[in-house]
Amino acid sequence: MNILRQLELEHMKTTIPDFGIGDSVDVHYLIKEGDKERVQLFAGTVISLQGGGTRRSATVRRLVSGEGVERTFPLHSPRVADIKVRERGTIRRAKLYYLREREGKATRLNPNLGRLQYPRSGKGSGLQKPEAPAAE
Amino acid sequence: MTGSKTLGLLGKKVGMTQIFLDDGTCVPVTVIQAGPCKVLAVKMATAAEHPEGHRSASMNLGKKRGKQNKPRSADGYYAVQIGFDDKPARSCSKAELGHNKKAGLDEGKRLVREFRTEVAPTEKPGDEVTVSVFDGVKHVDVSGTTKGRGWAGTIKRWGFSRQPASHGNSLNHRTGGGLGRNQSISKGVPKGKKMAGHYGVERVTVQRLELVKVDAARNLLFVRGAVPGHNNGYVEVRRTVKRERVIIGQMKAKKAAAAKAKK
Repeated sequence: MNILRQLELEHMKTTIPDFGIGDSVDVHYLIKEGDKERVQLFAGTVISLQGGGTRRSATVRRLVSGEGVERTFPLHSPRVADIKVRERGTIRRAKLYYLREREGKATRLNPNLGRLQYPRSGKGSGLQKPEAPAAE
Repeated sequence: MTGSKTLGLLGKKVGMTQIFLDDGTCVPVTVIQAGPCKVLAVKMATAAEHPEGHRSASMNLGKKRGKQNKPRSADGYYAVQIGFDDKPARSCSKAELGHNKKAGLDEGKRLVREFRTEVAPTEKPGDEVTVSVFDGVKHVDVSGTTKGRGWAGTIKRWGFSRQPASHGNSLNHRTGGGLGRNQSISKGVPKGKKMAGHYGVERVTVQRLELVKVDAARNLLFVRGAVPGHNNGYVEVRRTVKRERVIIGQMKAKKAAAAKAKK
C-alpha cells in the first residue's frame, strides 16, 4: 500500500459517525480553560465536508442570536472528542453555502427520514485501523 | 549541538500530509523514506587510519605488471560514502560493481553521496546506516532537486511584479521591463540582469526543518514543512548547520513557566 495512505489510516479515528452534509450535529470540542480541559458543545448544520484521510474537516454552521457562526473542525483532531448526529437533512447540493444568505425559518432543511439509516455508502465508517509495525 | 560535519542520510520524498500532536496541534509534515543506506567507502585523512582489511586494494596495472595489491593512499579528509536505493547489477558499470564489492554488495546503488565528518569515521564499508543517526537531533537540513519549471518568465523566476492590466498598457503585462540605462551613462545591460530563462531542477537546501517524528521500524522521517523536489525525488538529510530553533510548544511552556514564576 501507498505509504502515505497507510500512515494516514493509522492516524485516523475509527469512531467518527457516518454523517453527511445537511445533517444537524453536536460537536464535542475539547477546550482548555487555564489548566482544566472541558468539553464545549457546538450544535449546528454541516454545510461543507472537505478533504480526505486525516485532513477531512467539516464546517458546521449555527445561528447564535440571529448571527450566523461557522466553525470548521478537523475531524481527526484529538480536540474533537465526539460528534453526535441529531437529525438528517435532505440536500440537493454538495455545499450548503446558500444557507448563509438565509435567516430564521428559511434555514431549515427538510428532515430526511430515509437517510436515518446509515451507512448509505454501504461501506460505512467500519474503518479498519492497520497495526503500526512495532519499533525495533 | 550544532555541526555541519556529521553523517547524514539519503532518502526519498514520499509526500506531504499532516499529523496531530497530542495537544491537538496540527503539523504539516513531509514524509521521507530515509535509508537504510549502505556504507560504500570511507575517506581518511591519513592512510594508516583506514579500517583493517581496507588498507590495500587489488589493482590491475596493465598487461606487464598484472594485478597487484596497492596500499590505499591518504584521502586528505574524513568522509563516509553511502549509497541508497538498489540498482540491479545489469545496469551498473564494472567499475561501480567493483567499488561496491568492497562493501560486500553485488549490486549498485542509485544514489551515492559522501558525507564529510569532523573526525575519523568509525563506520566501515558494508555497514548499514539507518535513521538512528538522527537520535537526539531536533532539526535537519534537507537538500534536493527542485521541480522543473521549464522556461519561466521573470515573474515566476525572480518574483518580479506584474505591470498594469489597463491604463493604456499595451501588450506589456508580464514583461520584465527596462534592462539598463541609455547613452553615455550606459554600460549596456548590467551583468547578472534577472531575465526569463530556465528555472527549477536545481539543488536547493532547506535549512533547519523540525524533525517531528522518527519511525525507526519503517525508516521514515517526519519533517515539518516542505522539502524541495517532487514526490519520489531523492533527498539528502543531515543534521542542521544552524542553531536549533526553539520549538513552538516548548516556547509556550517556557513562557507559561516564566509567568508562573512571576506570580
